[in-house]
Amino acid sequence: MQVEKFYYDNKTVRNFAYATIIWGAVGMLAGLWVALQLVFPSLNITQYGSFGRLRPLHTNAVIFAFVGNGIFMGVYYSLQRLCKARMFSDKLSAIHFWGWQLIIVAAAITLPLGLSQGAEYAELIWPIDLAITIIWVVFGWNMFGTIIKRREKHLYVAIWFYIATFVTVAVLHIVRSGELPYSWLQSYSWYAGVQDALVQWWYGHNAVAFFLTTPYLGLMYYFMPKAANRPIYSYRLSIIHFWALIFLYIWAGPHHLLYTALPNWAQSLGVVFSLMLIFPSWGGMINGLLTLRGAWDKVRDDVILKFFVVAVTCYGMATFEGPMLSLKSVSAISHYTDWIVAHVHVGALGWNGMLTFGVLYWLIPRIFKTNLFSKKLANQHFWLGTLGILFYAIPMYWAGFMQSSMWKQFTESGQLKYSFLETSINMKPFYAMRSLGGLIYLAGVLLMIYNIYKTVKAGKLVANEEAEAAPLEKVYVKHTGEHWHRWIERRPVQLMIGSLVVILIGGVIELVPTFLVKSNVPTIASVQPYTPLELQGRDIYVREGCYACHSQMIRPFRSETERYGEYSKAGEFVYDHPFQWGSKRTGPDLAREGTGNLKKSDGWHFRHFREPASMSTGSIMPSYAFMIEQNLDTSSTVAKIKAMQTLGVPYAKGYEYQANSDLVQQAKTIQTNLKTEGIELPPNKEIIALIAYIQRLGKDISKPQNK
Amino acid sequence: MFKFIKQYVEKIEGAQIYPLISMFIFLLFFIALLWYVKKMDKNKVAELSKIPLNETDENCDTGSSSLL
Repeated sequence: MQVEKFYYDNKTVRNFAYATIIWGAVGMLAGLWVALQLVFPSLNITQYGSFGRLRPLHTNAVIFAFVGNGIFMGVYYSLQRLCKARMFSDKLSAIHFWGWQLIIVAAAITLPLGLSQGAEYAELIWPIDLAITIIWVVFGWNMFGTIIKRREKHLYVAIWFYIATFVTVAVLHIVRSGELPYSWLQSYSWYAGVQDALVQWWYGHNAVAFFLTTPYLGLMYYFMPKAANRPIYSYRLSIIHFWALIFLYIWAGPHHLLYTALPNWAQSLGVVFSLMLIFPSWGGMINGLLTLRGAWDKVRDDVILKFFVVAVTCYGMATFEGPMLSLKSVSAISHYTDWIVAHVHVGALGWNGMLTFGVLYWLIPRIFKTNLFSKKLANQHFWLGTLGILFYAIPMYWAGFMQSSMWKQFTESGQLKYSFLETSINMKPFYAMRSLGGLIYLAGVLLMIYNIYKTVKAGKLVANEEAEAAPLEKVYVKHTGEHWHRWIERRPVQLMIGSLVVILIGGVIELVPTFLVKSNVPTIASVQPYTPLELQGRDIYVREGCYACHSQMIRPFRSETERYGEYSKAGEFVYDHPFQWGSKRTGPDLAREGTGNLKKSDGWHFRHFREPASMSTGSIMPSYAFMIEQNLDTSSTVAKIKAMQTLGVPYAKGYEYQANSDLVQQAKTIQTNLKTEGIELPPNKEIIALIAYIQRLGKDISKPQNK
Repeated sequence: MFKFIKQYVEKIEGAQIYPLISMFIFLLFFIALLWYVKKMDKNKVAELSKIPLNETDENCDTGSSSLL
């Protein structure tokens, strides 16, 4: 058969490589900054630079900008070569690249402005969500176009991982972005309370699975054999790895909600599937590491293999730890603590980071037709990276255990031994050590930037790399007795549908009953919708990202009910669009802040927001003094109440037009309260709305019950 | 569509059946997968796993042992 000549597109690969490097450095710098803010609260400079707004910037930058561009770099390089074809369309490649960068820039602008949906890793506002959907479709279109015009009959396992990534991220993004816009920029989640929580962690967990894991496994299955110059240890194992992993992962989300108000059956389902996940995950890790069997001596002098070995080892550690953390008894200790922060950073810095660096060192010299500028510098980067991970993770593990045991300790007479503030002050040295770990890791990245800059300077981009291959036979002669999997390996669309079915089974079985079976969320008669002022205050709470440090979910443990009051019930959150349970307690839980022993005066809250350390000596909470200056925007009240009515919150018909006068009245009451404590303030300030919301928290079920 | 199925789902007594169904689905799926993988042709497996290595890359020294 006639051999065809064609050209690989290396320009797009280069662009994505540059983007992953630049955004990686930015995201890590943001991470270092927020880490330092926990040690030196004075680094919370202006409202745009406060922890609650910058932390989402850090997480979004690392996940979607650093890892996202890393995925596209690796996919665009490997897919072309595995398909023996140029990318389907140069135009689509360009739209994909520039569109994705614009989304990142939009995120970097809106998050510090406080434009947020208040859901972790899904903070971006609805217009950006829409843009992500479009660009994701462009990516999928380009990918499938390439696969369809390929010159290699079989789809190598890496491509399956890419396809599963595309289809699952699309489903996750669409379901999580279920939101009702009430203005050109902002919206409320369609889901409320427990349901919102389930959707959130189904999304959140699978963002880890299908954005941070499956595409990188695809990269591992391509670049590991390339760098080691030997095939993957077991192709059979890779088939089991793929199907078992995508089947099991989708169920595991509820392990983020153990001991919460989520129905018990859903929690159990999450635990069972999380435990089973260890098998495909370790199957994948072993497959990666055993690729080096008989070649371990090469790891000694090959820096790229070193990066890969640490990456795959970190993958193994994180995926062993994940199932362990999903056990209810372990979650009882680890949840809300810095242990979880350590866990995710072993994944992000170790697995994603080190794999990306390895791929960059392998790929950049090749597309620039030159040698790596300095192997020595790359080696130094490797050591800085590895040490950085250790310096980061070990203090955080230690801190997590310490925090949890201090929260749970009682004195002999049966009282809580430590106040929350004491536990928080004890964390400071660990936060400082963690920052050092981050700094070391970032220093390694800076070395890499220099090394790659010099490499690029010395070479010249081969924008269109020549290659040759025979086209596929038009008619495929089927062998007798051929198996279905061989059949599916040649058919990308069927493979995509197969993956979709496999991931939908888990999603549907978990989500549908929680939405439809009434008994799963028992209603509580005394729970009422928020007043307009409280609603405005709640939106400020969301805007400031308070959920990054405060939970609103008391678990049924004595150590928690003693500290925070009655444990949280599913029925308390039915009007919470979005839910604000949080996942971390850098500060105390706030579910019952307005009631019982925790109740403080309006004046206390005023002074605390103005200067937290003045009321709680040693507090690391940022100051929110700007809310004393800023006026509350009441022009949005009508639209907000209307949106809530559409979502099913029972405000009386026509209430939206009365809402603002009620709002003013309640604000005046708080103004009067503040006056008695010697604080003079006009009633139209933001801080008054936030105080109203905080004082409302937990009040519903301390009222006398109607039934 | 939700409205259509809602009345039926609400009648389900205890959603505990879901984990059982799902475990069963997974078990069947997994057994079929293992059976298939075991039956795969050895030469075909070797051929498939070599796909990434069929491509010749630009020769350059990045410290990769493959090039030393």
